[in-house]
Amino acid sequence: MIKINQQKEKQKTGMTIISIIVILALSTIWFSGCVQQQGQSGAVIVLIGRDSTSGTREFFWTFVMGKANFSALLLEKNSNGAVQQTVAQTPGAVGYVGLGYVDTTVKALKINNITANVQNVLAGTYPISRDLYLFTKGNSTGSAKELILYIQSTEGQGIVTQEGFVPLQNTVPYSSSGKTLSGTLTVSGSTTVLPIADKAATAFKALYPDLTVTVTGGGSGAGISAVSQGTADIGMSSRDLQTSEQGKGLVKYIIGKDGIAIIVNPQNTYLDGLTLAQLKSIYLGDTTNWKDLSK
Amino acid sequence: MVKIFHLSWKVSLLKEKGMKTLFFLSAISAIIVIFSIIFFLFRDAYPIFQKEGVVDFLIGMRWYPTGQPPLYGAFPLIVDTLLVTLGAMLIAIPLSIGSAIFIAELATPRMKAIIKPAIELLAGIPSVVFGFFGLIVLTTWLQITFDVPTGESWLAGSILLGIMAIPTITSVAEDAISSVPREYKEGSLAVGATRWQTISKIVVPSAISGITAAIILGIGRAIGETMAVMMVCGNPTYGLIPNPITNIFAPIKTLTATLGIEMGEVATGSDHYSALFGLALILLIITLIVNILATLILGRLKEKQRSGSMRQPIISFELGKKIKQSFYLIIGIFIVIILLLAIGIIPVIAVLVILALMYYSLKKISIKIKQKIAFSIISLSIIIVIIFLGIILAYIVTNGVGALNWEFITTGPSNLGRSGGIFPSIIGTLYLVAGAIAISLPLGVGAAIFLHEYTREGIVTKIIRAGADLLNGTPSIVFGLFGFAFFVLYLKFGFSLLAGQITLAFMILPTIIRTTEEALKSVPQSLREGSYALGATKWQTIRKVVLPPAAPGILTGAILGIGRAAGETAPILFTAVVFSDFIPSSILQPVNALPYHLFTLATSIPGSKQNQAGTALVLLLLVIGIYLIAILLRNRFRKNMKW
Repeated sequence: MIKINQQKEKQKTGMTIISIIVILALSTIWFSGCVQQQGQSGAVIVLIGRDSTSGTREFFWTFVMGKANFSALLLEKNSNGAVQQTVAQTPGAVGYVGLGYVDTTVKALKINNITANVQNVLAGTYPISRDLYLFTKGNSTGSAKELILYIQSTEGQGIVTQEGFVPLQNTVPYSSSGKTLSGTLTVSGSTTVLPIADKAATAFKALYPDLTVTVTGGGSGAGISAVSQGTADIGMSSRDLQTSEQGKGLVKYIIGKDGIAIIVNPQNTYLDGLTLAQLKSIYLGDTTNWKDLSK
Repeated sequence: MVKIFHLSWKVSLLKEKGMKTLFFLSAISAIIVIFSIIFFLFRDAYPIFQKEGVVDFLIGMRWYPTGQPPLYGAFPLIVDTLLVTLGAMLIAIPLSIGSAIFIAELATPRMKAIIKPAIELLAGIPSVVFGFFGLIVLTTWLQITFDVPTGESWLAGSILLGIMAIPTITSVAEDAISSVPREYKEGSLAVGATRWQTISKIVVPSAISGITAAIILGIGRAIGETMAVMMVCGNPTYGLIPNPITNIFAPIKTLTATLGIEMGEVATGSDHYSALFGLALILLIITLIVNILATLILGRLKEKQRSGSMRQPIISFELGKKIKQSFYLIIGIFIVIILLLAIGIIPVIAVLVILALMYYSLKKISIKIKQKIAFSIISLSIIIVIIFLGIILAYIVTNGVGALNWEFITTGPSNLGRSGGIFPSIIGTLYLVAGAIAISLPLGVGAAIFLHEYTREGIVTKIIRAGADLLNGTPSIVFGLFGFAFFVLYLKFGFSLLAGQITLAFMILPTIIRTTEEALKSVPQSLREGSYALGATKWQTIRKVVLPPAAPGILTGAILGIGRAAGETAPILFTAVVFSDFIPSSILQPVNALPYHLFTLATSIPGSKQNQAGTALVLLLLVIGIYLIAILLRNRFRKNMKW
């Protein structure tokens, strides 16, 4: 009796094993079928862009899109670095970032056959670039005025170039002779402008040891509202004032330009350049496959 | 003589009253905080509700605040938030409950001694570290494995949130399963049931209210999570409901991600700003609903258990069974239809064949083999959990260890954090955490003392507990928005250490109240009675008799709070942090913190890979170290507790 039971048990174990194998086999087939169906994913364009409050996006939307709506499939990133990171690891991706973010992990496309670099922005041939701003409440005075003068000077514009932005032209050297500054100075706002202001502040502090300069990020909007409320002396912004921010007595200073590069993944061998019209059609969602552009 | 005695008696009476008032005030702080959060969110959201109409705001299909005309439709964001949570729970619930059963019932004492604290430690991994991992590893893996255009998707968010929720659900569910009385199990085994029958029919049903609480806690966490979701879900610009709705590779945009992305750049006081507060209010209401549902479900379950089989069933057993069967049938048909629409006819047939085979083989096999299968599935679930978490830890450690050296910890960053160290961020995190704990510890302990020592269970305690529960369920980014509206703007603190400290303090307040209450509960009533019998007053009893043995438990709560505060990014994002090498000299100055430093390096500073991984590792070590201390302390405390 016990023996029979054991035999039965063995049979059942065998059956279990067989059914488990069948289940595994079936699911493998199903799984691989799924994978094969999709295929060729690198050719599908993945749109990467900035969030709707970004100065970079506002500029891109006005200049490239002619204020037409983006495709609903545009994926938002809240910083240039995140756009670059995503494009670097997604074969079909395209994105727009400041020139400073172009490195070997991504490929910058020529626009209207012009390479994206500082020289071409300076020469005015590369079509996509915008201004960077500092804001003060009323005309700048005291140490705020001096820091802005410093950033607009030859020395300050050296930093702008170093960080991959486009400097102002016809600048004069900064002179600190006969000036003494002390107290504290707070600079706050756009993360795009932050690298420039941060490095400039370090150099500026070397000229005026008694002065404390604090540079903080938080975004263009946060910077502008900090200046209007008097919690910061200088606001940094990568966009001009919006309607709701006007009429608060803010004065703007242009401190350089940011060329906007269109970047794709290095694996993208379909093309090396786009026209502005093609770029617009990509971001409208009308062109959805790289193959359609490489013909 | 009599007069002096009289005077001192009066003084001590006054003291008694004073202390009671003080404790009452700290107890209602939780309620005040939750109401001021709701008030400030509503105050700032009101303009958009007035302009767009609440209904249009809720059911609008497009979120495009900077468009012309601007569109404020939150519906896709709400749907996506729910979808990503649903997916996360489909992953987390089976794995967590399997793991909980394994730890409570199957593991040898030695295995349990290692696995249980390990899982609890993992609850402390900061969400920005998960996001960092997800952004770089998970999305790429999904993209290549499934050959989809981009890995940033619903699936990526759900996997990441699922993994994040596993430690929380597992440890709470394990506590519930472990606390099922021994006699139940022994009774079941004695009548000849197998271990699996005992577990599935006796232990788990008895623990069901605790398990439900664990799941709801997990859901709350998943809905409110910001940083990780923001980094891996893709965030399609106008908000997008997946089409078809089962397309798990579709990019989605959740409420929290929208807040995290747009809040920093928005113009204060604009319609867009107001609309973001509207989203935060919706988010808060969703979590409130989840919390209230949880309380209701738990209440009913408890009542059911209490009344047990004593009550006459309303419907007969047979009828109940039939209703159940038809219910399952309807759900089954519904799922098949959805699957048919989503993946086509052949895979559906395959799935049905598999299910039929499984059903058939399960019917045929003996209970012993059933037990074997069940146990292997349970073991498998804990293995999967350990593999998941192991991969994340291994990735962070192997990448970060190269950057880690003495200089990295003790010097400031140079070249925008690409080189140099992270000393200011470490100090900043310590400042933030120290301030947060200095505010929330007295408040939390006071509230717990009031709840447990000064009142009987009644309407007052119910309201205060509800306030603390609601606060506990409030998403961390909602705290961030509240801190921004109240401390930074309304009280004009600006971006400051103080604003960050108070915001974090509010966030960890419920944790401290709850753990302190647990600690007070564990002090036997007889000790208090002994003290009163000797003529001690209430406050004397609390101070001299109750608090000393409860101190380690309170400390554990404080340390858990510290760990949570150290790893959170969202609450300080809009209240306190700046990206700089700046160490504040006053509490009104801004500060840098480790999670924010990591977030900024990972998203805004190109060419900082090495220091990103290094910062992630330091943050991980710091938070896990804090949790480790808490767990060790608690275990010691539990061992020494012999009354």
